[in-house]
Amino acid sequence: MASARYAFRDGWRLVVRHWGLSLLTIFTAMAVFYVIGASTLFVMNVRHIVSKLEDQLTIQAYVKPGVDLDALAKKISALEEVRDTKVITKELALERLRTRLGNQVEAVSLLGENPLPPSIEVRVDKASQVSNTALKIDVMDDVDDVVFAGPVAEKLSKVSNFAGQFSVVLLVVAFLASGVVLFNTIRISVYSREEEINVMVMVGATSTYVAMPFVIQGFLLGFAGALLAFLFVGGTYFSAIVKLKDMLPFLTFIESPQLLYKLGFMLVCCGATVSLIASLLAVEKFIKNAMEPL
Amino acid sequence: MDLQLSGVTKIFEPDIVALEDVYLQIESGEFVYLVGETGSGKTTLMRCVTREVVPTRGHISVGGYMLRKIKRYDLALFRRDIGVIFQDFALLPNLTALENVKFVLEIMGLSPKETTERASEELKNVGLWRRRDMYPPQLSGGEQQRLAIARAIVNTPALLLADEPTGNLDPSTADEIMQLLLSINAAGTTILMATHNPHFVDTYRHRVIEIHRGRVVRDEEKGRFDANGLC
Ligand SMILES: Nc1ncnc2c1ncn2[C@@H]1O[C@H](COP(=O)(O)OP(=O)(O)OP(=O)(O)O)[C@@H](O)[C@H]1O
Ligand SMILES: [Mg+2]
Repeated sequence: MASARYAFRDGWRLVVRHWGLSLLTIFTAMAVFYVIGASTLFVMNVRHIVSKLEDQLTIQAYVKPGVDLDALAKKISALEEVRDTKVITKELALERLRTRLGNQVEAVSLLGENPLPPSIEVRVDKASQVSNTALKIDVMDDVDDVVFAGPVAEKLSKVSNFAGQFSVVLLVVAFLASGVVLFNTIRISVYSREEEINVMVMVGATSTYVAMPFVIQGFLLGFAGALLAFLFVGGTYFSAIVKLKDMLPFLTFIESPQLLYKLGFMLVCCGATVSLIASLLAVEKFIKNAMEPL
Repeated sequence: MDLQLSGVTKIFEPDIVALEDVYLQIESGEFVYLVGETGSGKTTLMRCVTREVVPTRGHISVGGYMLRKIKRYDLALFRRDIGVIFQDFALLPNLTALENVKFVLEIMGLSPKETTERASEELKNVGLWRRRDMYPPQLSGGEQQRLAIARAIVNTPALLLADEPTGNLDPSTADEIMQLLLSINAAGTTILMATHNPHFVDTYRHRVIEIHRGRVVRDEEKGRFDANGLC
């Protein structure tokens, strides 16, 4: 279609003619989308880490002497939020202590008879359920005492929730910011062409025809910004992960390249959507006015 | 394309009466001169016909288009059917002379080949072929006017509104353009031409409509330029 070719050619001309403004817009969009991309990765990693830690969260229920361990384990498993239970006999407890102490194993042998109490190790579905479940187990007759990382569990689930909410807020703010910047840029090009638009409309151009180059201009800028942001995020992410793993060896991070491709796709889609909406809004009212009679 | 104005009054803010109670009937194929002193309302009348201006009172219909309630898309189609030579040329400064002429054909959806052929031919007709790659600001006043004429007639409009189309031209170029307009009219285009040029009106005799302070004060077949001493 000839008019589509014209629109792209002219949209490109607009980008080139206002090259200073174009660069400024692309860099701003890039910064905004970088923030979006980086915060998304951050939140996903926090979630990932929290879920890993949650996996390791357990309740230790120490059992009164002479109780049937398997029966108690069954009873605890019956609780709704419990994922699984593991019976730790006196022997197993000693075994674990041995491995943990390593070459100090002699000290354990010195104790003579095994002094360790048997226990049941309980894992729950979510970190937030740990305290509650622990209470339920504690009131059972056969249970002597429970030990669990209550505050840690609660903090973890809070961190995860907060990271999620924070990222939503950030996403909205970043979206609006990039929208406003793109909107203003398109506005400026529209006004710089005010007379031309009036002439085009006077000789019979439809509003769509007149609007298209501006919409494409906005699209090109937003698209370029998002693409650059993606390249930057991708480039910095893996080197950051390597450093973080060095500093925090006990944490695990997301390392699949698929994740990055998905993120890139998301960023570019966001960029395209925001820029399309912003430039349509910027150009629509103006052209409507140009077609209105005196 | 025929043209009717009934009871058209245009009052600009705050209270400038540019047109007052104008009734006009122009048949398809006519050639009509619009005369009147400066500020009498000739351009305003034409802008009402292109619907750049909407009358305060009254109705205008052009070739079946009722301008008062025309829809936006129909307005674009209507404007492709007519040609306008604007008093201030209204050229696109960032397009070359050739591109300016091609533009009207492009928006009509003609093929690139046909667009180029017809635009080139029209540029030759107005004697601007040598200037085809120059931009309007680089052209002289007369050249810009000829470019405006080429653009207005390239789509073989059914109605041509020519607002002082020879105002910036030397007598011999002006006469060439006048011949061009007469030949377009002979081919079927209705022409309404505002002019301050007594020579043309008196030489090529056609219907003359005279406006004075927004009112039609004279409307005669094969009239002369200045019958009342008002122009
Ligand atoms: N947009 C406007 N706002 C206010 N007044 C206007 C406007 N356009 C035209 N006028 C007034 O309407 C009157 C008619 O103007 P118009 O341009 O139609 O005259 P004209 O006959 O074309 O004159 P000329 O021969 O000099 O071109 C003038 O008094 C002018 O000042
Ligand atoms: Mg005028």
